[in-house]
Amino acid sequence: MLSSMAAAGSVKAALQVAEVLEAIVSCCVGPEGRQVLCTKPTGEVLLSRNGGRLLEALHLEHPIARGLHAITDREKDPLMCENIQTHGRHWKNCSRWKFISQALLTFQTQILDGIMDQYLSRHFLSIFSSAKERTLCRSSLELLLEAYFCGRVGRNNHKFISQLMCDYFFKCMTCKSGIGVFELVDDHFVELNVGVTGLPVSDSRIIAGLVLQKDFSVYRPADGDMRMVIVTETIQPLFSTSGSEFILNSEAQFQTSQFWIMEKTKAIMKHLHSQNVKLLISSVKQPDLVSYYAGVNGISVVECLSSEEVSLIRRIIGLSPFVPPQAFSQCEIPNTALVKFCKPLILRSKRYVHLGLISTCAFIPHSIVLCGPVHGLIEQHEDALHGALKMLRQLFKDLDLNYMTQTNDQNGTSSLFIYKNSGESYQAPDPGNGSIQRPYQDTVAENKDALEKTQTYLKVHSNLVIPDVELETYIPYSTPTLTPTDTFQTVETLTCLSLERNRLTDYYEPLLKNNSTAYSTRGNRIEISYENLQVTNITRKGSMLPVSCKLPNMGTSQSYLSSSMPAGCVLPVGGNFEILLHYYLLNYAKKCHQSEETMVSMIIANALLGIPKVLYKSKTGKYSFPHTYIRAVHALQTNQPLVSSQTGLESVMGKYQLLTSVLQCLTKILTIDMVITVKRHPQKVHNQDSEDEL
Amino acid sequence: MSRLEAKKPSLCKSEPLTTERVRTTLSVLKRIVTSCYGPSGRLKQLHNGFGGYVCTTSQSSALLSHLLVTHPILKILTASIQNHVSSFSDCGLFTAILCCNLIENVQRLGLTPTTVIRLNKHLLSLCISYLKSETCGCRIPVDFSSTQILLCLVRSILTSKPACMLTRKETEHVSALILRAFLLTIPENAEGHIILGKSLIVPLKGQRVIDSTVLPGILIEMSEVQLMRLLPIKKSTALKVALFCTTLSGDTSDTGEGTVVVSYGVSLENAVSDQLLNLGRQLISDHVDLVLCQKVIHPSLKQFLNMHRIIAIDRIGVTLMEPLTKMTGTQPIGSLGSICPNSYGSVKDVCTAKFGSKHFFHLIPNEATICSLLLCNRNDTAWDELKLTCQTALHVLQLTLKEPWALLGGGCTETHLAAYIRHKTHNDPESILKDDECTQTELQLIAEAFCSALESVVGSLEHDGGEILTDMKYGHLWSVHADSPCVANWPDLLSQCGCGLYNSQEELNWSFLRSTCRPFVPQSCFPHEAVVSASNLTLDCLTAKLSGLQVAVETANLILDLSYVIEDKN
Repeated sequence: MLSSMAAAGSVKAALQVAEVLEAIVSCCVGPEGRQVLCTKPTGEVLLSRNGGRLLEALHLEHPIARGLHAITDREKDPLMCENIQTHGRHWKNCSRWKFISQALLTFQTQILDGIMDQYLSRHFLSIFSSAKERTLCRSSLELLLEAYFCGRVGRNNHKFISQLMCDYFFKCMTCKSGIGVFELVDDHFVELNVGVTGLPVSDSRIIAGLVLQKDFSVYRPADGDMRMVIVTETIQPLFSTSGSEFILNSEAQFQTSQFWIMEKTKAIMKHLHSQNVKLLISSVKQPDLVSYYAGVNGISVVECLSSEEVSLIRRIIGLSPFVPPQAFSQCEIPNTALVKFCKPLILRSKRYVHLGLISTCAFIPHSIVLCGPVHGLIEQHEDALHGALKMLRQLFKDLDLNYMTQTNDQNGTSSLFIYKNSGESYQAPDPGNGSIQRPYQDTVAENKDALEKTQTYLKVHSNLVIPDVELETYIPYSTPTLTPTDTFQTVETLTCLSLERNRLTDYYEPLLKNNSTAYSTRGNRIEISYENLQVTNITRKGSMLPVSCKLPNMGTSQSYLSSSMPAGCVLPVGGNFEILLHYYLLNYAKKCHQSEETMVSMIIANALLGIPKVLYKSKTGKYSFPHTYIRAVHALQTNQPLVSSQTGLESVMGKYQLLTSVLQCLTKILTIDMVITVKRHPQKVHNQDSEDEL
Repeated sequence: MSRLEAKKPSLCKSEPLTTERVRTTLSVLKRIVTSCYGPSGRLKQLHNGFGGYVCTTSQSSALLSHLLVTHPILKILTASIQNHVSSFSDCGLFTAILCCNLIENVQRLGLTPTTVIRLNKHLLSLCISYLKSETCGCRIPVDFSSTQILLCLVRSILTSKPACMLTRKETEHVSALILRAFLLTIPENAEGHIILGKSLIVPLKGQRVIDSTVLPGILIEMSEVQLMRLLPIKKSTALKVALFCTTLSGDTSDTGEGTVVVSYGVSLENAVSDQLLNLGRQLISDHVDLVLCQKVIHPSLKQFLNMHRIIAIDRIGVTLMEPLTKMTGTQPIGSLGSICPNSYGSVKDVCTAKFGSKHFFHLIPNEATICSLLLCNRNDTAWDELKLTCQTALHVLQLTLKEPWALLGGGCTETHLAAYIRHKTHNDPESILKDDECTQTELQLIAEAFCSALESVVGSLEHDGGEILTDMKYGHLWSVHADSPCVANWPDLLSQCGCGLYNSQEELNWSFLRSTCRPFVPQSCFPHEAVVSASNLTLDCLTAKLSGLQVAVETANLILDLSYVIEDKN
C-alpha cells in the first residue's frame, strides 16, 4: 500500500534546506576549507572535503536537498548551488515560479554560452604550452593540480598529493596518448593504487609497474626472457564439465582418468615452461596439482584475481586468455606476453605482486602507493586523485573535436557524469539536446521547403553552439520554438540519446555528418534527419544564392572553430571565473531589453559572487573580498589585465558545467509545487524513484 | 525477508573539538595512556563483561585493541595509533601521548587551524631532518659486530613493559634469548639482498621464565603416544624430506561441475587407496625418510610408510608450511602421481624433545634461518604480554638492521629535541617561516606548545611523584625521587641521566623541566668511548620513533582540522 503525504513545495522550505547545507559545505570550500569527519554505519571513519560525499553521509531526508546532492556530486564547489538559492530570496515577491524557471532555462540555454564565448573567452588561458601540439608543461599542470587539491585534501597534504598526481601523470602518459589513457586510468583507478595504513602520508610514492593486491601462491624467482599467460579457468582438466555426465564403470577407468588428468596437467605446464612462460595469472583458484607443477617448472602463480584486475592487465598488454589446448600439440602458444619482471613487493610487512608489464597501449603502467595513518585519510586521498583525473579527462576531452560538437559533447558528458556518479540516480536533463530536439520537431511538423529547413537547422546550431551569432540572430527567428513549455518530456526521452551521442562524437566526422549520425540513432526519425543532411549539403556545395543572409552564418561558424573554448581552457583561481562572469552578466543586463532577462542575469551575477566571498572570508586588508572585487572590476573597465593574488589555475570547463547543472537544478526546484512523501521502499528502477521525488 | 526501514538522518556537529564531551573523552584517553608509560607505568586490567579472560597490560597494542571507543574523533586517534603499532610494533604509547598533548596544548592557544597546522608541519620536518642528520646529538650508531648495543635495545623494550613481570635476572635471560633468536634468522652467507628467516614463538605456559630457550629449526607439537610410535632413525647423513600440501586422505573432491556417475560395484575408495599406496612405493624407492603433510594422511598409507621406516607426520597446518618449506628447501607437493625428484628437501636430523609437559618433534636444519623460541611464563596473561614484547623486540631488531641507528631512550631524546627546537625557533625563525604568512609570534607560541607536548611525554615517565630535570648542556633528562631531601646538591641527588650516557660528575647546570629557561644549544658531541663502555644504556628504535613522531603530528593536525563531525546513526 502506498501511503503518501503531500506538502506544499514552497520555495521557502527549499531556501531553508539550502541555507543549512550551505553552512556545512561552505566550511570545506577553498584553500582555507577544513575537514569533515564522517562515520559509516559500520563504524568506519571517513575524512572528506567533498561536497557530494558529505551530503551523502548526511542521509538527507528533504527531497530538495537530495536534488541538490545529485548535482554537487562531481564538482568542486557545491556551495554555488546553495548560494544561488539563497540569492533567490530577493525575488520572493514574484509568485509565478514557473515563469521564472523558464526564464532561467532560457538564460542557461541561450545567454550563458554567449557571454562565455563573447566576453569571458578573452580572459581564458590555455593549459597547453603550445596550442597546436597540445603539449603540457609541468609547471602549468602543477598549478592546476595544486589548486584542485587545495580544495580537496587536508591542507598539510595538498602540496604533496598534487606533486604525486603530477608525477603520476607524467610517468604514465604522454600528452599524445589521448583520451583512451584517461579512460583506462579512470576505469581502473581502484586497481592502480594500493593503500597502506600506519605509515606517514609522506611515504606515499609511485612505483613503476603494476602492483596487485595479492600475494604469489607460488613464487619462483626468474630472470631473462620472461613471458606470462592469463587463464580464466582451471588448467587441470576435470572429470566432468557442467551439463555433462561422467560414468565410471570400473576402478581401473577411474585410475586411468586420474592418471590422464595428471599427465595432461604436467604436460601443459611443461609446455608453458618450454615457451619461457614464467608467470601464470589466474582469475580462479587453481588446484594443488597445477600449483605444484608450476613450481616444478619454475612458473610463479598469482590466483584469484578479480575480473577488474584481469581486464586491466588485458587492456595494458592486449593479451587474451590462454586456453589449454584440447588436442595437445607442441606448437607455440599464441597468447603469451613478455614481462620485464615479476617479484614480490613488501609494503609494511604485507606482500604484494609487483609486475613489470610491457604496455602495448599508450598507458605506461605505474601504481600509486598511498600511505596514511588511518584508512579514512587514504580513502580521501584516493578519492581526490580520482577526482583530479576526471577533471583532467574533461579538460582534455575536446582535444580532437571541433567546436560545434564540442559544445554538444560537453552537455552530453555532463549528463553522463551525473548519471554515473549520483547514487540517487538523478538525471539532469540535457539542455542542449532538449533544445535541439524541439526545433526539429517543429521542422518536421511544419514541413516547410528545403531551404527553410536548412535555415532553421543552422539557426538552431548557432543558438546552441555559437552563441555569439545567436545574440544577434536568435531572437528574430526562433523565439517561439525555444520557449520550453514542456521540455520535461522531451528531455526524458533524450537521456539515453545523449549517452550515445557522446560516444559518437569521438569520431572525427565533420559537423553535419556527425549530427546526422546522432539523430539517426533515434530510429523513428531517420528519414527526416537524412533529408535534412542532404539539404544542408546541397546548400553548402553550391546553391547559396537564395539565402544570402545565411552565408555569414556559415562563415562565422567556421571561423569560431578555433577561437572558441578549446580543450584545456583555464583561469587563475581565487574566484576569477565568478567575478568575470558577474561583471559581464551585469553588463549584459544593462543592455538587455527584456525585463525578465535582466532580472535573471542580475540574480545569477550576484549569486556568483557568493563563491569568492567565501574564498576570501579569512583574508583581511588588501586581500579582503571588497578590495579584490573593486580591483578586478576596475581592471576590467580599463581593459587592464586582471592580477590575481593567488597562484593556481582551474578548469573553465568544470566551472561551466557546474554552472549549467546548478541552473538546471534551480529550474527544477522552482517548478515544483508539491512534495509528496512516499513511505515505501524504492522500487527497483531507480530512475522512477527520482522522478517520484521531483 | 528482512524488514525494510527508512534510513535515519545522520547527526551533524560543528566544531567538535570545542565541546565538553570530546574534551573529557580525550582527557580520559590521555590519562589511560600516560599512566601506562614507561618502566614504572601502571598496569591496566581489561575485562569484558560478556566473557573472555582478563587482560593485564600496559602495552598500547593490547590496550587499544581491547578498548571500545565510540566517538569518531577518538576512533581516528586510536586507529592511527593501532596502525602505527602494527607496522612498527614499538612507540605506540609515545605516539598516543604526544598526539593528545599536542591537541590539548594547541587548543589552549586559540590560533586558527590553518596557522597551527602549517607551523606544526614545519616543526615536524625540523625534528625529522635533525634526527636524520649527521649532527644529531641524540642518536648513536648501532654496531652489529658486538652484542652490547643490541642487548641494550632489547633490554630497554623488556623493561618498559612491566606487565611481563620479569625479574632483573629474567630480563637478562630473555633479552639474550631474543637476540639469539634474531641472529639465528640472519642467513650466514648472504650477499647483497638478504632475506631474513623467521623466529617461531612456541608457547609453554605455566613454566618459569628462566626455562625459556631458543632452538634452531622447527618444533612440531605432538602427543606422547604419537611420539612413542615414531621409530628412531639411525642415519649419519641428512634426512630426505617430502612435504605435501595436498590431502593424502584419499578423498576425491574435485570432480568438476558436472555429475559423476559411479556404477554399482565400483569402489572409488579402493581405487584411491591403490593410488596412495603407489605413491608410498614411489616415496620408498626415492629413499625418503620423512613425510610431512599439511592435511590428513590416510591411516593405511601412514601404516605402510611406517612399515618401511619412514616417519609420517600429518596435520601440520598452514602456518608451519612456509617455515618448513624454507627450512627443508622442499617444494610442497600437490600431486598424488609422479613426484619430481627435485621437490624433496632435507633436514640434518630429527629428535624428540620434552619441555615442561609438552612433547615435541624437533626438526634440526642443515643451515637455515628458522628457529623456535620456546617462551615460558607463569600464567596466560603474563605470557601473552611477554609474547607481544618478544615480537616487538624482534621487529625492532629487524628495523634496526635496516637503519643501523638507535635513539637515546629514557626520555633524553625528547628533552634534547625540545631544547633543539627552542633554540632553533629563537635564533633562526626566518629559516622556518620562509615565505609563509605566519608571524614570528605565532611561531613562538606553536613551538612552545610543541616542545611542552614533547616534554609532557617524558613527564609521564614519572609516576611516583618525583621531579624531572633537564641539564643545560646536553638537554638530557634527569629524575629525582619524590622522597629525596630538599635541593642541597644536585650532583649528589642525580646519579645518571635517563638514558645512562652521562653521570652527574660533570660540571652541569640543571633546571626543572617545566620551568622557563632561556634557549640553549644542546651539545651533541659525546665521546665515542662513552658509548662503547656504557653497557647499560637505555635505547629506542629510531625508525619506530621517527614514524611515531610523524604519525602523532599528522593525526593531531588531522583532528585539529575538523570542522564538522557527521555521525551515521543507522
